[in-house]
Amino acid sequence: MSEHALELSQISKEFGGRTVVDRVNLVVPKNQVVALVGESGSGKTTTGLMALRLIEPSAGRILLGGHDITSLRQRDLKPFRRQMQVVFQDSYASLDPMMTLGEIIAEPLAIHAIGTASERRDRARDWLQRVGLDGSYATRYPHELSGGQRQRVSVARALILGASVLVADEPTSALDVSVKAQIVNLLQGLQADMGLSMLFISHDLSVVRSLADQVVVMLRGRVVERGPTDRIFANAHHPYTRALLDAVPVIDPTARRRRTFLTAEEINANTPRFRPEDIEPQPLVDTADPQLVALAGSHFVEAIVTGGR
Amino acid sequence: MRLVEIEDLVVSFRQFEGLVQAVRGVSFDLQSGESLGIVGESGSGKSVTCSALLRLLREPPATITAKKLVLGGQDMLRADKRALASIRGRVAAMVFQDPMTSLDPVFTIGHQIVETIVAHKRASKKEALARAIALLKRVEIKNAEAVVRYYPHQLSGGMLQRVMIAMALSCEPAVLVADEPTTALDVTIQAQILQLIKDIQAETGMGLIMITHDLGVIAETVDRVVVMYGGRVMETGPVEAIFAAPLHPYTRALLASIPGQQPGKQRLTEIPGSSPNPANPPSGCPFHPRCPIAEDACRVTTPLLETKATGRAAACIRVPAERVAA
Amino acid sequence: MLQFIIRRTLSMLVTFFVVSIIIFMMMHAIPGGPFDGNDMPLPDNIRARLMAQLGLDKPLWEQYLRYMWGVFHLDFGVPYQSPGETVMGLIAHAWVPSLVLGGLGVLIGAPIGILLGMAAALNRNSWIDYLASAIATLGLTIPVFVISTLLILVFAVWLHWTPASGWGEPRRWILPIMAYAAVPMATYARYARSAMLDTLNKPFVTVLRAKGLSERRIIFQHVLRNSAIPMITIFLPMFVGIATGSIFVEAIFRVPGLGAYFVSSIQKRDYPLEMALMLLISALFCISYLISDVLYALLNPRIRLGGKGR
Repeated sequence: MSEHALELSQISKEFGGRTVVDRVNLVVPKNQVVALVGESGSGKTTTGLMALRLIEPSAGRILLGGHDITSLRQRDLKPFRRQMQVVFQDSYASLDPMMTLGEIIAEPLAIHAIGTASERRDRARDWLQRVGLDGSYATRYPHELSGGQRQRVSVARALILGASVLVADEPTSALDVSVKAQIVNLLQGLQADMGLSMLFISHDLSVVRSLADQVVVMLRGRVVERGPTDRIFANAHHPYTRALLDAVPVIDPTARRRRTFLTAEEINANTPRFRPEDIEPQPLVDTADPQLVALAGSHFVEAIVTGGR
Repeated sequence: MRLVEIEDLVVSFRQFEGLVQAVRGVSFDLQSGESLGIVGESGSGKSVTCSALLRLLREPPATITAKKLVLGGQDMLRADKRALASIRGRVAAMVFQDPMTSLDPVFTIGHQIVETIVAHKRASKKEALARAIALLKRVEIKNAEAVVRYYPHQLSGGMLQRVMIAMALSCEPAVLVADEPTTALDVTIQAQILQLIKDIQAETGMGLIMITHDLGVIAETVDRVVVMYGGRVMETGPVEAIFAAPLHPYTRALLASIPGQQPGKQRLTEIPGSSPNPANPPSGCPFHPRCPIAEDACRVTTPLLETKATGRAAACIRVPAERVAA
Repeated sequence: MLQFIIRRTLSMLVTFFVVSIIIFMMMHAIPGGPFDGNDMPLPDNIRARLMAQLGLDKPLWEQYLRYMWGVFHLDFGVPYQSPGETVMGLIAHAWVPSLVLGGLGVLIGAPIGILLGMAAALNRNSWIDYLASAIATLGLTIPVFVISTLLILVFAVWLHWTPASGWGEPRRWILPIMAYAAVPMATYARYARSAMLDTLNKPFVTVLRAKGLSERRIIFQHVLRNSAIPMITIFLPMFVGIATGSIFVEAIFRVPGLGAYFVSSIQKRDYPLEMALMLLISALFCISYLISDVLYALLNPRIRLGGKGR
């Protein structure tokens, strides 16, 4: 069962009686980038934090490399923490301003008591270079860097322990346009080199299109559609996914058009309907209604199945 | 008629590191009814330029100089406090980036629209309130009669930005300055707000200055574009021309680096390096350290914004002027 | 909102009882008793009889329960140091000077401080700002007995404008009121400055300017109202703290106020008076914090109206 790097099964989260994440199933296969997209309030960040066990789920299971880590105590979790790391949006808040970049990058090694002080220093310098910064940056402080450079440091710190799973929560959202591509390329390069598996949480569909193998769309705590990136972008079935894709500005002033917007009620009313013969035989989730149904090509969508033979 | 004329605008801030020039000689203008996009990254000076136009910066620490800084026919550099207050909101209104912090939390939505109307027009509170409700309806807020009694925290970001737009429109301004109006909003809400702004502009014929870092927003909304970088204008021109054939190497690189333009997982074209630090700008052309076609001269001379083709200008010595240039 | 007030009132009552137990225990934890400090020691049998009379021979928990039973009936007992009156009567007449002088001190000092703070915030980094900061710092750092002595020296001794001390005709109140006003003025000057600056830096102030409102309207309607919320909430606790008298001010200006009794009741192990004073102070603080919290909630629409309306 260890074919998946990360697997969330029927995971839910309630805050004060409100269901923020509702029975989400999510799989990050080895060596793939899975993008979790949605708008504010969709529960995508909560889902990501639950995968990291930085928020405790109310129900469901978390499997890391096939191991159930859902109810491990913090002490028993420590070896798994080495395998799964995180990069956040706000690189300024997540880097200790009193530490040099060398210290910041080497800190995970120190926490896990790996190597001598000088070995750790050398590895930190190696990692600075791997993320495209000069070794001389080791003695500088976070405030001396630009946003893109700080995000490089965050990536180095996350990967120095040799993590196999990276959760990236909006890592490019706070960056300048001209720097965004650098960080996307950096993540892509490291992913290929290290065989990383990545859960990429983002509202930026353009970045998702260039980076992800699969897309999972969340709406109000539920997964409404998921599938291979190209299929989602070319052939989305759920009205919300379509609305999301339709809302992305088009980089061509000659292709302007008026859009029509669906209200939340209209999106609910337009849940796709399929006849049984149009879908793959096994419904993925059979407890919920409407439910995720399987279409051809590992494409799943929340839909109602009607009118059997 | 020219609504906005800016010529050689320089804005400096007195800071700990010394005098920092955020805007270093910017010129552009806006005709009535025209929509102009100012695109740039953080530190490009795009927002400072427009705040300086309405004299919204605190002076000091800011210092503003310009050959011309004219808004609606009035010299903004000479205007006194009273004149400025009468121009703001009436001649030019602004919409800002974060609607959640743009309204006073202790007053109702209605109060804040009414006070804007009363500040500029002869109107009773009652008339102003009726107008406020009509404006909220215009920005597609359904229960406008109830919303005027709401406090800002009772509305979502998208609704608040609609309120901000209604408030900006309340005194029928000749120009609407929108400073990253959709950056803090969700994608679907962004599309709705942009469409609303475009519709209202078409309906009222007001001028629009759209400040954004997002080339997609520019492509969707404006007629003409000013590309800023390092406190200077790099390129100006009609939006179709700029997207079809950018002249300046910065504009070209920026357009090429936008992710998600083609299907498929792929490496993106990146621009090496990072934006210049305004406290310590590079010599010569601000883009030369990152420019693929920079030559020695770019390090020394600061290129002027020159007409390169009809209606198009770029500040780059490596871009040849077309023969048809007017 | 009502639920909030009820919840806070209940938690206040619990606090009050816990405090009363702690005070009672601490009071009795101090070695010695009311008849130990005299130069001429009392004979043991007389002492024992007196102790029995006052109920001091009973176990501590019983003493406490008896005392609280009395408090419940508004009977605070008789002060040992002046057996001719009740604790209630003594506090009632001794509190008047403290309340008048301290209260006026706060009522005069706080508005001056607010004006100073506002002037400083509106003229950031100018001489006004530096002057206001200097006054605020001096007001908070110079001990009140030094201020009091200086006031007497300048206004009574050198200028002969006011009497140096005493209680009675209002002329004599001027100097102690000034002494009392120093702390609230300084506190409010600092508080108002930072609250105003905090508000002035909010994005909505820029929006108000961009709408074309006059600077006066922006400051007096919007900025002041937003800054007032935190300022109002510190007023009552400060008032309670100062209007219960200061031993230093009252000693220096020879005011027959409450201040002196705080010290004398402890020195003389005058348990009923000591207990009553402590309970009074803690009750007043509890109530003032409760009212402040309610005011804060009432002034802040976010709390008053709760979540989203839509």
